[in-house]
Amino acid sequence: MGKSPAEPTMTFARVDQVRAVAVPLVLFVLAGLLATGPWPFVSPVAPATLVPVWATDPTPVRRPTLKPEIQLAGFTYRCSDCHRLFPSPAETTRSLTQHAHIVLKHGINTRCFNCHHLTNRDVYVDDWGREIPADQPQLVCAKCHGPVYRDWLHGSHGRSDGYWDTMRGPQARRKCIECHDPHQPPFPPMPPAPPPNTLRMGGQTRREDEHRAEDPLRIYRRMLAPDQGDDASISDDYRAMSAEVDP
Amino acid sequence: MKRYLTFVWDCVRLSFVGDWRYHLWMTILTVVALLGLYAYCQQLVHGLVTTGMTDQVSWGLYIANFTYLVGLAAAAAMLVIPVYVYRNMHLHDVVVFGELLAVAVITMCLLFVTVDLGRPDRALHLFRRFNFPISMLTWDVIALNGYLLLNLHICGYLLYCAYCGRQPARAFYVPFVFIAIVWAVSIHTVTAFLYVGFGGRPFWNSAIIAPRFLASAFAAGPAFIVLTLQIVRRVTRHRVTDDALFTLRRIMQVAMIINIFLLGCEVFTEFYTDSAHVASARYLYFGLHGRSALVPWIWTAIAFNLLATFLLVLPASRALRTLNTACVLAIVGIWIEKGMGLIVPAFVPTPLGEVVEYFPTWGEIMVCLGIWAFGLLLYTIFVRISVPVLAGELTYEKRYGVQAP
Amino acid sequence: MNETQPGQGGRAGDGGPQLTRRGFLRKGAAAVGGAAAVAAAVSPLRDLPGDDLPTFEKFFQRHYKEMTPAEKEAVLRRVEREVKEREGVEVRVGDPPPLTGVEFVYALNISRCIGCRKCVHACVKENNLSRSPEIQYIRVLKMEKGSIDLETSDHHYDPPVVPEHDSYYMPVQCHQCKKPPCVKACPVEATWQEPDGITVIDYDWCIGCRYCEAACPYWARRFNFAAPEVPAGQLNPDMGYLSNRPRAKGVMEKCTYCLHRTRRGRMPACVEVCPTGSRKFGNVLDPDSEVSYILRQKRVFILKEEVGTVPRFFYYFDERGSRYHEPIAPVEPGTADGEAGT
Repeated sequence: MGKSPAEPTMTFARVDQVRAVAVPLVLFVLAGLLATGPWPFVSPVAPATLVPVWATDPTPVRRPTLKPEIQLAGFTYRCSDCHRLFPSPAETTRSLTQHAHIVLKHGINTRCFNCHHLTNRDVYVDDWGREIPADQPQLVCAKCHGPVYRDWLHGSHGRSDGYWDTMRGPQARRKCIECHDPHQPPFPPMPPAPPPNTLRMGGQTRREDEHRAEDPLRIYRRMLAPDQGDDASISDDYRAMSAEVDP
Repeated sequence: MKRYLTFVWDCVRLSFVGDWRYHLWMTILTVVALLGLYAYCQQLVHGLVTTGMTDQVSWGLYIANFTYLVGLAAAAAMLVIPVYVYRNMHLHDVVVFGELLAVAVITMCLLFVTVDLGRPDRALHLFRRFNFPISMLTWDVIALNGYLLLNLHICGYLLYCAYCGRQPARAFYVPFVFIAIVWAVSIHTVTAFLYVGFGGRPFWNSAIIAPRFLASAFAAGPAFIVLTLQIVRRVTRHRVTDDALFTLRRIMQVAMIINIFLLGCEVFTEFYTDSAHVASARYLYFGLHGRSALVPWIWTAIAFNLLATFLLVLPASRALRTLNTACVLAIVGIWIEKGMGLIVPAFVPTPLGEVVEYFPTWGEIMVCLGIWAFGLLLYTIFVRISVPVLAGELTYEKRYGVQAP
Repeated sequence: MNETQPGQGGRAGDGGPQLTRRGFLRKGAAAVGGAAAVAAAVSPLRDLPGDDLPTFEKFFQRHYKEMTPAEKEAVLRRVEREVKEREGVEVRVGDPPPLTGVEFVYALNISRCIGCRKCVHACVKENNLSRSPEIQYIRVLKMEKGSIDLETSDHHYDPPVVPEHDSYYMPVQCHQCKKPPCVKACPVEATWQEPDGITVIDYDWCIGCRYCEAACPYWARRFNFAAPEVPAGQLNPDMGYLSNRPRAKGVMEKCTYCLHRTRRGRMPACVEVCPTGSRKFGNVLDPDSEVSYILRQKRVFILKEEVGTVPRFFYYFDERGSRYHEPIAPVEPGTADGEAGT
């Protein structure tokens, strides 16, 4: 193995002197280095994402007045102010001359008088021709949308604001048209609020694994619509159906 | 009492005395440990954001090292089994080195857990409200600290008796030795159970984790001891027979073979099933959604482990150079597979399917190196003290010229 | 070894020469060097923010469940004082007790969720969540139609408009499970389940080991890796001790069903802001509540049921979602359609 540990290569005294100086020297150098605060911490924390104001706004997307009124040129008119004077045809297969911005895309409900009263435009109409007041739109929708109306009554459809415990405070059940445009009821798409940006997240673009490439649903979708890639959808049927009616 | 204080003081003084290689080694370790302390102080100031951990991968290098070292600590005391249970006297002289390694390593484990805490100033809350027996962490706290005390007692008692120049009473250490054998198995089982009990982490939720922990610990621990004993043999006057090394080699052979077998079991179960639950294993071995940072690590670890097993099984590993190579390969391979191959993949993907990878920062690495250096410092001091004391060179009598009262 | 040799730079070995001046200087230099190095190594601690150091009262503060009402009052006032000092904002920290006869349950209609993420940001605002680093209790998953495998989900979708074709959206937050693995995991009982079903955290007790974060199957718990930052102007002054009062770095936090609101009868912030009304909240012990109706009548499922956590968060779907229609023009959010009567 070589020399025994008691016989260093250099002369004993020399090594001893070097060691006696070197050890404190190293420690003092280290102390000096660390006292200057080397390698300061550089924070990887990203600045806060800018969140638009609407992202935390609980106001419903529509704010209908629930009154049979219209604002024209800064004045408020009741519906019957005009509709008493000017008769409207019973059928509605021609284009509107007024309220032209209303686009009726209510599925197969293409007849205005399914909802609106034939003669009294301040109210809606029920299945027997009786009047439904303008502040009760849910009764109109309930004529056809029974299951949704039932859910709405029980609270599982639609928004309720306020208190869950009605003994402590009011709960406001939003009516149908506070979310749904009655002439184009599907809830409109909206831009999403910003996605998450958590600490040290890394790039988050996904690359699909071949592992799931032969998922049967993807194969089926490609079969249905080869030109759309994976975007085929059975909503094509509905699209075709609603294209048959007049806008 | 006075004698005990003298003993401690003599040990402290002895630990500063040595030849130039000793001082060089200790100075290097001190420098690294202080750099680690500096990095940790930065972590205390800024929070755990100085590490690479995130909400997605909330345990990283600290817990990886902790897991590995608990295995090392357990295996160190497993040297005791051949001597005390099977009366294999080849290892008799080296039992104490195993126990001392256990003490140093458990201290490192406790340090790793402490640096991982977000609020170490509240560690005393463990004493005020202790969620035992429901929380596995409480079991781990008891197991690790109990093991530390056990081994401190055994080594301290043997050294103290040697210092006082009297025969140690068997009743004061042999029962503790046997308790330590059982406790050694239990500390690593309890650490495994920390991970195993979570249904939300299917990578860990497997019965094979605890047996694999033990198998890999009993391979890495003796490997470490084999290397350490050769260093002891070289720099001290303590005699270490080759038979001791070969007995350890035997233990390693069996442990590595079992470890490889259990690895095979795990790999088969994961990839033959090929369900959604094996996403973490897929991430580890092949990458997931284009992220594959751990893939080279695990394959390196498997290669190292297979090579080490192969070398150990060959008669050629009776030659010390081959044996040392196998030991180094085993130590590194098992470190990778237990650390990065066990802790990190369980967090990728997250339970909600997000893939965020973990990359340790330099601050984190520095703290880990600092704790390793501190542990090696402790162990070097222990060896430095125990060799002369056990050889009867440093006794009360020799120091003070009178028989120990 | 060499300890018996004279002039060896060590102190006297057995019977060797006494301490020489040279030996003393050497040892002294090394000792001073060592002390200087240690002092330099801990020097970063001088930058430790003042309010990070545990004060006497914080050190001895008891666990929430052990505090007397007087102690709790003192703690609440202390928190208010700290916020005033740090942010300059007057806040009110309350500690509403759980209501009797109430078990909170959440239901989410995945036929109606359009993935707009307003719930995420309303929660951030209500609960004073850190903006940088960003912490959000709610994570909205965009799921592929045809799969409920969460691994196929996309968390980072950012199209021009939502909802996207052939996707459905599942927001996930803390499910306040009846058998919470996080409560099992915590070694110091810093997190526990209250009688009304909400799993809460005592932020002054948590040691930050993150074991609960590893335990949660829904990735619902968050850790403050850095000191949380909330711009002072956006601080919500209506605070609860166990919910949205400011947290420190190094502790865990999570959704608490806005208990500072819900224990006073109000809806959580996420329910109030949801534009489509997909979120439903209430007392399941009340047979007339919305959530009771949903659990009785709707097709309800829970996430990861096989893990056995028995969550109090139910996903349901009903007749039809907003998928099967022709694309229509999106509205700019924040503007209302103020057309006549409608």
